[in-house]
Amino acid sequence: MRCDVSDATSDTESVIDRTAHRAIRDPDTVYQWLTYAGIGFFLTISLFPFYWLVVLALTPNRAIADMGVVPKGFNPGAFLEVFEVVPFHLYMLNSVIIASLSTIIVLTVGSIAGYVFGRYDFPGRTPLLLGILVISYFPPVAFLIPLFRLFTGQVTLIGLESPELYNTPWGIVMPLSAITMPLIIFLLTTFYRQIPDGLEDAARIEGSTRIGALRRVIVPLSAPGVATAGILTFIIVYNEFFFSYLMVNGTVEGWSPVLHGIFAFQGSQQVAYNLMAAASIIGVIPMAILVMIAQERIVSGLTQGALKE
Amino acid sequence: MGSVRLENVTKRYSDVTAVDDMNITIEDGEFVSFVGPSGCGKSTTLEMIGGLTTQSEGSVYIDGTDVTDLPPKDRNLAMVFQNIALFPHMDVFDNMSYGLRIRGAEDEAIERRVDEAVETLKLEGMLDRMPSELSGGQRQRVAIGRAIVRDPEVFLMDEPLANLDAKLRVHMRTELQRIQRKLGVTAIYVTHDQEEAMTMSDRVAIINDGELQQIAPPLTCYEEPTNVFVAGFIGSPSMNFLEGTVADGRFESEIVSLDAPGVDASTDVTLGIRPEDIYPVDDHRAPTTVGTVRAEVDVIEPIGEKMFVYLRPEAADSPVEERGRAERDSLLMSVSPETELAEDEAIEVAFDQSSIHLFDAASGNALVHGLEREPTPTT
Repeated sequence: MRCDVSDATSDTESVIDRTAHRAIRDPDTVYQWLTYAGIGFFLTISLFPFYWLVVLALTPNRAIADMGVVPKGFNPGAFLEVFEVVPFHLYMLNSVIIASLSTIIVLTVGSIAGYVFGRYDFPGRTPLLLGILVISYFPPVAFLIPLFRLFTGQVTLIGLESPELYNTPWGIVMPLSAITMPLIIFLLTTFYRQIPDGLEDAARIEGSTRIGALRRVIVPLSAPGVATAGILTFIIVYNEFFFSYLMVNGTVEGWSPVLHGIFAFQGSQQVAYNLMAAASIIGVIPMAILVMIAQERIVSGLTQGALKE
Repeated sequence: MGSVRLENVTKRYSDVTAVDDMNITIEDGEFVSFVGPSGCGKSTTLEMIGGLTTQSEGSVYIDGTDVTDLPPKDRNLAMVFQNIALFPHMDVFDNMSYGLRIRGAEDEAIERRVDEAVETLKLEGMLDRMPSELSGGQRQRVAIGRAIVRDPEVFLMDEPLANLDAKLRVHMRTELQRIQRKLGVTAIYVTHDQEEAMTMSDRVAIINDGELQQIAPPLTCYEEPTNVFVAGFIGSPSMNFLEGTVADGRFESEIVSLDAPGVDASTDVTLGIRPEDIYPVDDHRAPTTVGTVRAEVDVIEPIGEKMFVYLRPEAADSPVEERGRAERDSLLMSVSPETELAEDEAIEVAFDQSSIHLFDAASGNALVHGLEREPTPTT
């Protein structure tokens, strides 16, 4: 009896022991398994929702009630129907225009700010930079009500009514540019700081103004940084929900972005889940294209930047 | 072409004065070097001429025009930088034509000017290369090309040869002089290397602690240094200095005493003597010498055309056995390599009378250059 117990214990111990020994002797296998587990986890949480969207989009709407993991039926027509039921392409165009405008504004203003913060030493530089950082911590919702009143012309300042920006691209572009700006200023500051002083001096001696030197020398040499900043801004604005939802009324004419296009399939009588899913997938396409192009740009920028001293 | 004038130019940072009340006039077509130790303010002065740094006080004139408040691009000057600073994202042609393109020159004119520069600098066939594909010397030439295509009034150079290897440096030194002569352009050259300054310049401006010490032709700086700093800075190896006093027309120091006629100061003085002006007393090639120093040969360094001998001088009035070796500085003598000397040999050396410099010990200003000459007024 005693003997049995001790046998059982030693058996369990020996299994653990053996595993432990094996792991110690050959840690590479363990690392490999851990890597697979990690990759599997991340792939599941990032790709499964996308797969689920595809399943939803392909399943005809009447079969959608008791969904499984595989599509019930095959209805690729949903991807075309999306454009027939609502002008989804116009919603996408709105989104792209809004994101592009924001990117241009953020890169222009952010470049000048980044240049000043990165290449000048002036009194109050650090507090100012910290101030910008602090603003970026504010929750965007804190700005919503004042901004909404401002953009709908309800604020009167020295007898002037604020302009009506509700239902224009600026209603979304302006708050989002402001919110993205601190991050981009920080990013560009670090990139512009790395350009050797001599290059800027040379450009200025040769006949450029400071802005000219920024445009012709500093920005091209910081191409990877500027590209990253631009793509980040574009993606943040394109993907943003809060202001994009609230600063427009949901119509195509009112400059509503993609998310309103997806909500447009929510009727009062029924919800076209399959079309919403299809629209969501189509909505991702511009981002996918952008990332593919950008990757090439960033890589070429990195290899080209053969900075000497 | 243009002259450059600095009037009371001062640059102060929050707690330091980098350049203090600089007054310099550089003539049209002249080659002037600013030389001094690191951090002496020579580069800052150059940057103020270029407009890259704003002066705290004073005015800068180029070709008689006050450019004090003009941005660099409107001063019509060109600059070559220590780190060369070619635009790495542009090929050689774009680098060289940058200034002309910015100023909206016509394509034809740009090509002609670049071609001329290419010919001057022997850069044929390089125009479509990127800076990263060039050697150090080629990059330097492109940087010079970028500076000369615009035909500037003034050519500023901030240690342009510092990053090149020794052989290339000597070569580019001659090249630069050749180009400057050919173009007849006013050139200001900043360097910490006194040899470079001496060999290239029409005049040398020696700067220390943000103050101009002396501006004169190279040989004047060498033969008649205005103060102890210039005397020690110009010339390699450096001048020997002996602390002593002058009383009744006689210089007395721990290791030597000699007649110093015409020096009426009865104060502490510093005697300066260059290594090549010290001779063994039995050297028949020696000119008129004064003073006798007993010394022991410490180290001998033959360098080819001459030989450096480090001497341990002995106090004039104490026997050899009592000498305190470490207490006194060594004396450096430069002699012809045929001189027969052995290490630890006891010898006697004397100073060339006409090459002895006396400086006021307190202010460092020169009192006399050459003891038989008339005393020169202090500056």
